[in-house]
Amino acid sequence: MSTKTDTMSRLRRGLNLNAEDEWPSVIRERLVAYGLLGLYVVVVWFPIYYILITSLKAPSETLSFPITFYPHHPTVSNYVEIFQNRPFGTYTLNSLIVAGTTTIICVTLGTLSGYTFSRYDFLGNKALLLSIIAARMIPPIALIVPFFEIMSHPPLIGGLTGTLYDTKIALILTYTFFNLPFAVWIMKNYFDGVPNSLDEQAQVDGCSTWEGFFKIILPVAKPGIAATAILAFIFSWNEFVFALVLTSSNVAQTLPIGVSLFVADDFIDWAHLAAGGMIAALPGILFGLFFQRYIVSGLTQGAVKE
Amino acid sequence: MAENTRSLRRRLDRLFIPLTVGPTVIWIAGIILYPTLQLLWSSLFYTNPITQQKQFVGLDNFASLLFKHGHWFGSVNPDIVRFTKHTVIYVGFSVTISFLLGLGIAMLLNKDLKGRGWIRTAVIVPWILPYVMSGLMWRWMFQTQYGAINGVLVGGGVISKQIPFLSDGTLAMIALIIADVWVFTPFIIIILLAGLQNVPEQLYDAAEVDGASRWSRFRNVTYPFLKPSILVALTIRIIFDIRALDLVWVMTHGGPGKSTEVWASWLYRTAMVFGDTGQGAALGVVMLATTFAIVAVLYQVFGGTPYET
Repeated sequence: MSTKTDTMSRLRRGLNLNAEDEWPSVIRERLVAYGLLGLYVVVVWFPIYYILITSLKAPSETLSFPITFYPHHPTVSNYVEIFQNRPFGTYTLNSLIVAGTTTIICVTLGTLSGYTFSRYDFLGNKALLLSIIAARMIPPIALIVPFFEIMSHPPLIGGLTGTLYDTKIALILTYTFFNLPFAVWIMKNYFDGVPNSLDEQAQVDGCSTWEGFFKIILPVAKPGIAATAILAFIFSWNEFVFALVLTSSNVAQTLPIGVSLFVADDFIDWAHLAAGGMIAALPGILFGLFFQRYIVSGLTQGAVKE
Repeated sequence: MAENTRSLRRRLDRLFIPLTVGPTVIWIAGIILYPTLQLLWSSLFYTNPITQQKQFVGLDNFASLLFKHGHWFGSVNPDIVRFTKHTVIYVGFSVTISFLLGLGIAMLLNKDLKGRGWIRTAVIVPWILPYVMSGLMWRWMFQTQYGAINGVLVGGGVISKQIPFLSDGTLAMIALIIADVWVFTPFIIIILLAGLQNVPEQLYDAAEVDGASRWSRFRNVTYPFLKPSILVALTIRIIFDIRALDLVWVMTHGGPGKSTEVWASWLYRTAMVFGDTGQGAALGVVMLATTFAIVAVLYQVFGGTPYET
């Protein structure tokens, strides 16, 4: 008897049950919820698992029959070989430079203007904010033709630089265009949630507007800045369409292009492709596992609070 | 000296607004005006793919996009009918399935279960991966001989012979929709979960006391609070799916035999593979107009303007 109640109370604790909860119906509901979520997680992660084990199999094993659901002879040679035989080192470096620079520009401009949009009522601020929303609605793919033309024959500076086609600068400019409206929006919403009293206190303490912004406001804005930075980085790291349109050699090609080039071969080498795919997916998986809070807050700040 | 720095500080302070907003405004004006005007401009020209010579053709690009042989109001161009149908099927099924699935998972995650944070992390990851990798991953999953799907189905005795998913038009479209749902459901979950957390707890308790049924609780308590989030989730999902080239391009390449060619891949093929930039720009204009029309309709249906909560 006593052991039974003991087990019962442990079960209740484990399932987060309060003493007053009705026992059978609530517990059934909880178990069903766990079951469904568990099933969903397994289904969602199975493809990721399959591509991961494919990357750890020798190429011959990916083409063995019947297929294997774990690598019988796990090897990291695919990873080593794509860096030796294909320019994956260059792709990774390009990705880092492009995504990193884009992130820095978006965070800097987004934080400065997001703060001003949030605090000041200046001429045309409503109209500007509206155009920023409109800018977010533009489907980038519709603009591949003008972007291709602009980057091939840049106006004004064209005489100085020649073409920007197939340069990292072209990608950085393009990605900044598409991510900046989002960055401004997240930061504006974030500053809306920071109480005005902070700014006033800074004024009272005799800070100039700039000093107050840098010394008092910025430190408080760190979570918003982190969310903006992570999202801008992930979006530019993963971007494929404009990288495909605006690059043609490994001077500027990024990881998504490098991975997609495997498909251009007559015969797709899945083992090496999977290794390349895992490299491209790594930041996403790491950010997703460790900074999920920022991703969620950034998305909801940027999307829902309209 | 001190006088000088003080006046400089004052001047810098007066310039705070233009200096903080200016660069962003110039940048975004650049994105809205310049490329969009360039798009409209390009859609009026025929560009010779070899010599890059531009020739003014007026609205001919739109005529040949919409009508056979470019005769205004003649018979409709069969391509645009076919690819629009594919786009509607692809976007319609993907958005509907991922929305319902995402709503269900968000409702489950809204209960106070232990380990909820871990589960949330686990379900969000697919959306953060590069779409290219996801597309290739599903292509590998659906591969006829060595793909995991056939492996599981044949191994489990569900089917006796492997199914060539990606070499049949209908099956390829289904495979594409599955991949799309896999990639984008996390986004719906995030947005709706945030919306669900806005519902005041005591309203649920009140409904429970009144003995409201599950459906009526959802209809009368959850839905009104969730409406803004639903609007945002659906809008962003739909406009993202119309423009999403990545998955289609790497998974099916619009094939087999153009049976999964959607607007995005058609635009890319026209402008970049065949080098007909005028025609591609015209299609871009049509896409831009369609996107804005869809957003307007959604805001009509779910009420409110985009910049009110």
